[in-house]
Amino acid sequence: MIVARDLHKRFGSVVAVDGVSLDAADGQITGLLGPNGAGKTTFLRLLYGLMLPDSGSVRVDDLDVVRDPLSVQASIGVLPDALGLYPRLTAREHVRYFGQLQGLRGGALEDRVEALLERLDMRSIADRRTQGFSQGERMKVSLARALVHGPNNVILDEPTNGLDVMSTRAMRKLIRELRDEGKCVLFSSHVMQEVSALCDVIVLVARGRVVARGTPDELRQQSGCADLEDAFVALTAAKASPPAA
Amino acid sequence: MSWFTAMWIVLRKELVDGLRDRRALFSALLYPLLSPLLFGLLFGMIADKQREAAQVPIPVLGAEHAPELVAYLEASGATVTEAPGDLEQAKAAVREGELPFVLVIPPEFGEHIATATPAPLHMIVDGSRNDQRPASSHARQLLEWYGAKLARGRLIARGVDPAVAKPLAIQDVELASAEELALNILAFVPMFVLMATFVGGMQLAVDATAGERERGSLEPLLLNPVPRSAIVVGKWLAAVAFAVVCVVLTLLCCVLVLEHTSVSELGLSLDTRPAVLAGVIAAAFPMALMAAALQVLVASFARSFKEAQTYISLLIFVPMAPAMIGMMSGLGDSPQALLTPGVGQQILVEKLLGGQAVSPLEFVLPVVSSLVVAALCVGVTAAMFRREAVIFGR
Repeated sequence: MIVARDLHKRFGSVVAVDGVSLDAADGQITGLLGPNGAGKTTFLRLLYGLMLPDSGSVRVDDLDVVRDPLSVQASIGVLPDALGLYPRLTAREHVRYFGQLQGLRGGALEDRVEALLERLDMRSIADRRTQGFSQGERMKVSLARALVHGPNNVILDEPTNGLDVMSTRAMRKLIRELRDEGKCVLFSSHVMQEVSALCDVIVLVARGRVVARGTPDELRQQSGCADLEDAFVALTAAKASPPAA
Repeated sequence: MSWFTAMWIVLRKELVDGLRDRRALFSALLYPLLSPLLFGLLFGMIADKQREAAQVPIPVLGAEHAPELVAYLEASGATVTEAPGDLEQAKAAVREGELPFVLVIPPEFGEHIATATPAPLHMIVDGSRNDQRPASSHARQLLEWYGAKLARGRLIARGVDPAVAKPLAIQDVELASAEELALNILAFVPMFVLMATFVGGMQLAVDATAGERERGSLEPLLLNPVPRSAIVVGKWLAAVAFAVVCVVLTLLCCVLVLEHTSVSELGLSLDTRPAVLAGVIAAAFPMALMAAALQVLVASFARSFKEAQTYISLLIFVPMAPAMIGMMSGLGDSPQALLTPGVGQQILVEKLLGGQAVSPLEFVLPVVSSLVVAALCVGVTAAMFRREAVIFGR
């Protein structure tokens, strides 16, 4: 469970996150939807504690991110914006390294690595060095190392970016499975279809603020549009322009 | 998980990564081979030249006019050969470079010797040819010795003490021990060894910091529940390990080159007892700690991999500058000099290899200063790894 309250973050004169609150419950998929530059990545970085908020608070499973970042990081798995891999390590070594850093050892670690390689269909690439991996293969390695410690909360920043149809489907299937296991899944996207197909709750952000939240149906109602994409455009545009006096 | 366990996991990963990195391996393994080979070659050439000069045959025209002189030259170890044809041919041979020089003994030589008047000898040389100068001056030296021998004989025959004709007795008194003299010429053995502390871990330090960020793997790494300081120290010690291997290999290569090539014929010898070599490595080790810490700090500060490489290649002047100053004017061994990181190690290694006694204080001072610098750099780097601007690049 991830609870954020009134988060603010600015870089110099640029306000990236401007008073965002969010409740992501266990056993639910929460989608963070917004156009490019809406502040999604910065907001997620505040959630997993690599950036500190100027004000506001984040609690993950009732642990405060600012006060206890290491405990929080043990209970979340993050697929960050950057999918950087070590070109000279194999896929298996990546997953093992992160498992070790998460405190797994010996047989438990190897079992866990093996299970993830199986689940993400990585058998054929497990012992290849990651130099020259395709985007889909890189995504799998990044996912495996993010999930190696079996975190209760999963944060995915644009997880289907640059994936082909097959990989996108596999990713959706995985996200649903994680939800069905009772995990708290939070992912960001700028793709309407992506979010509407998957999410139980959508949080619509624009210019660093939450402009609407609710189930896909509720969003359609709020905007008065039958089509979700129209609703997206209507809602982001409405809040972006100054309200009429 | 303990801090140490986390550090060890990072260290081990960086070592594996570094061993698979051709660039990192090359800088750690090729440098030790290249530099001593280069200077081995250089000194080998000088030694060869000296030896050749001593063995060059002396071409003589008109040997039949001075059989005693020829006998003396041969007794002194020179090979006397007969120069071809006449004077003109001999001159042509020297001009063409076929012969380094020709000694011409005129027919009247014996007559002059017999009457104790200055006997003429001609050396045909080409003064514009530097490479032949050692050969001709060696021959000239032998001739002068022969002349001095004749002079002594004549003085004694006239009842005069030869010492009368030798008003000055000039003797060189060499103060430097043979080892120290060797070290003056081979002052760059310490420099090579200390530069290895900077070369060995260079690539790894850049790759593990600036490279990690540029690849986009720093953010996922820092998402693990591990103290930043453990991550920084792991990366730092991996670079130190490469640097130390590089130091040991460089030292071994230097010793091998010095002992098993013609360099040793120059009369240069360094103190290469195992205890001394161990002392050199012990002196260089804190320098490796400092070098890697500086590199990790600088590379973390740089905006990109390329920028980091540029800065770090400039850092190599840290060990080079004191060595250069030392070669030109000497570094002394004041406590201030010993406490200056880089300078202290240079003094210490020079003394050790020069066969001088080293006091415990002289050993401890440079260690202390470089450990302080290393600790500062690692501390600052760990603090920087907590800054968002550094994690995500600027």
